[in-house]
Amino acid sequence: MKTLIKLFTGLFLFFIVQVGMGQGITSSAHDFSGDTWNATGEICVVCHTPHNAIDGASPLWNHELSTQTYTLYTSFTLDATMGQPDGNSKLCLSCHDGTVAVDNFGGTTDGNDYITGEANLGTDLSNDHPISFTYDATLASDDGGLFDPSTTDSGLGGSIDADMLFDGKLQCASCHDPHNNANGNFLVMSNDASALCLTCHDK
Amino acid sequence: MILKNIKLIILLIMPVWLFSQSIVNTVHNLSVSGPGQIKATTETEICIFCHTPHNSKPLSPLWNRNDPGLNYTLYNSTTTQATIGQPDGASILCLSCHDGTIALGNVLSRQADIDFSMGITTMPPGNTNLTTDLANDHPVSFVYNSSLAAADGELVDPVNLVWPVMLENDKLQCTTCHDPHKNTYTDFLVVTSKYSELCTQCHEKNYWISSSHRNSIATWNGSGNNPWFHTPYTSVSENACENCHNPHNAGLDQRLLNFPVEENNCLDCHNGNVASKNIQVQLNKPYSHNVYNYNLIHDAAESALVLTKHVECEDCHNPHAARNLSASAPNVRGANVGTIGINLNGSDVDPVQYEYEICFRCHADSPDKPASPTSRQIEQNNVRLEFDIGNPSFHPVAGPGTNPDCPSLISPLTESSMIYCTDCHASDGASSPAGPHGSVYPHILKFNYTTADYTPESYQAYELCYQCHDRNVIIGGGNNFQERVHKKHIVGEDAPCNACHDPHGISNTQGNSTNNTHLINFDINIVHPTGMGQLYFQDLGSFSGRCTLRCHGRNHRRKSY
Repeated sequence: MKTLIKLFTGLFLFFIVQVGMGQGITSSAHDFSGDTWNATGEICVVCHTPHNAIDGASPLWNHELSTQTYTLYTSFTLDATMGQPDGNSKLCLSCHDGTVAVDNFGGTTDGNDYITGEANLGTDLSNDHPISFTYDATLASDDGGLFDPSTTDSGLGGSIDADMLFDGKLQCASCHDPHNNANGNFLVMSNDASALCLTCHDK
Repeated sequence: MILKNIKLIILLIMPVWLFSQSIVNTVHNLSVSGPGQIKATTETEICIFCHTPHNSKPLSPLWNRNDPGLNYTLYNSTTTQATIGQPDGASILCLSCHDGTIALGNVLSRQADIDFSMGITTMPPGNTNLTTDLANDHPVSFVYNSSLAAADGELVDPVNLVWPVMLENDKLQCTTCHDPHKNTYTDFLVVTSKYSELCTQCHEKNYWISSSHRNSIATWNGSGNNPWFHTPYTSVSENACENCHNPHNAGLDQRLLNFPVEENNCLDCHNGNVASKNIQVQLNKPYSHNVYNYNLIHDAAESALVLTKHVECEDCHNPHAARNLSASAPNVRGANVGTIGINLNGSDVDPVQYEYEICFRCHADSPDKPASPTSRQIEQNNVRLEFDIGNPSFHPVAGPGTNPDCPSLISPLTESSMIYCTDCHASDGASSPAGPHGSVYPHILKFNYTTADYTPESYQAYELCYQCHDRNVIIGGGNNFQERVHKKHIVGEDAPCNACHDPHGISNTQGNSTNNTHLINFDINIVHPTGMGQLYFQDLGSFSGRCTLRCHGRNHRRKSY
């Protein structure tokens, strides 16, 4: 039996390592080192800086933040309390709301390249999955169609709460890992059989 | 170690349990892993057929399909108070597949349509394809609020609706009845349709609680067509509303009935195959309330007074109320409770208290009422006037009769008894169901009643009358009255009862208590005026009277008895 458990543990670790060693940011759509608007030729610098990062925007944020007020998602079946984007979602929206030039980083404010296409969510977030709301056992119970994040396995090693939420809130990074595109669309896990959706949604 | 093993087993079992009521195992899993016939060839994502996390349209709930943008034919009914608009909210989302106009694989988040097996593109024809004609489907996208409930009178006040039956912004939508993600019951219903538990969350039909259509445990005997063709249920009570109604693709649009021909909604059970009595056989007899003759003239919203001649089962029966409950005349019987009618004063009543009030809908003040079969001295086709309790004489339908001394009555009948219209007008045959459905005898009479002149007396000739009036007393003779009046005429002259008696009664607006007691109102094709033009009966008191008339070629001038 112990051997069997060791074998399973081994397989599990192997799996995690595989995912961890996936594509990485290099050569992904988030690798802007070759873009004309990025004169530095660096990868990380568009978002991060080791020093003099923007106040209050961890992790070491280097890209001009958006000051927009967003139209939020509403639905008559929505039980969550919605608020303006916060936490790491603000960081994503500093490029993905389409109002701040992608080349406005490292103190630059006169950039003129903007995100285009489907990646531009705009400031109307009513047609996007809601973010920046507290997702806890109470919400799951109120909704009736959500798993309890504190007790439900995320499929990433721990609970949903531990692996996918940030201060108990669902954020862009709950579903997306901006540094790793192994699963496509920078998803944190494969959405084969809608596995990512069904991690939280008890449908 | 044992504890660890148990945990492992629980962990292994849990996902299976969690999936047991999940969309994954339903036909709404259109991915390649779906259990249904209609599914994608390679697409593995499940949610994608309806939802997308970004750039959804219409907005919530993160919809991934186009709004069909069509103009639908809507449900309409003379008995709905709701304002039914074009589908909106969740309903339009459902229709983006279920109207059959947009390919199932046509989702916003994919450049090309997702391929489906068997070459399927749009929803194939069948029950799940509602088409753009929603007239035969339960209405959706209407405001269902307390005012509607009050205006309708047979709807639950929606403030009392309980989860999982939900409205969307006060509107009833597809999702009020269906949860597209969970198929716990059949058809993705949020509450079971067994015993119509779902329907009765909103519909609270008057009288329904005691109706046989709600409570009967009768089953189908397997002959003919399955009356419950659109449910998995096998008894009347289990089918309840769906005995007659079909919420989608109904046979008859208004009121969503199973079949387009009104009576077929009743006769699929009342044909001997489910209900104990076979009404269909009665209706096929030569004299009947011929429901086959009329189509879509009856309207559930019509007035109690029938203005356009017709007859359907529901003119006399309220299928939400009918029950097996006996009563005594004149009180309405279980089969007819909850119907509308006209009372003895000519006013509308809802519901009827007395059975004859149902008959008065057509046979009293109705402009299109059937004519009287016998030409009489006093003509009257309005049976409400014929049975008025202020009349000089009448059969005791609306109240006990006026004659205090009627020795022919067979016990337990007495001079204070009352009878139903349907004691005389009913299906013939000893074991036939009550009510005037159909008979081999004219005027839908329960027994033979010969009205022709020169009829040799026999029990059979006046079998109808002899049910209550003892033949031995009527024609047996024994006293002056019996010898000279009944025996003399019925046996001696072969004259029918109908020659002298008008069986319904004589209206006090025309007759009087001198000339028209004892239901005397002569058949003028048999009984004629004298040469002086005189034709009358005169009541001279108990068992005594006087006639002036000409009959069978002979004159009676003030002939008394």
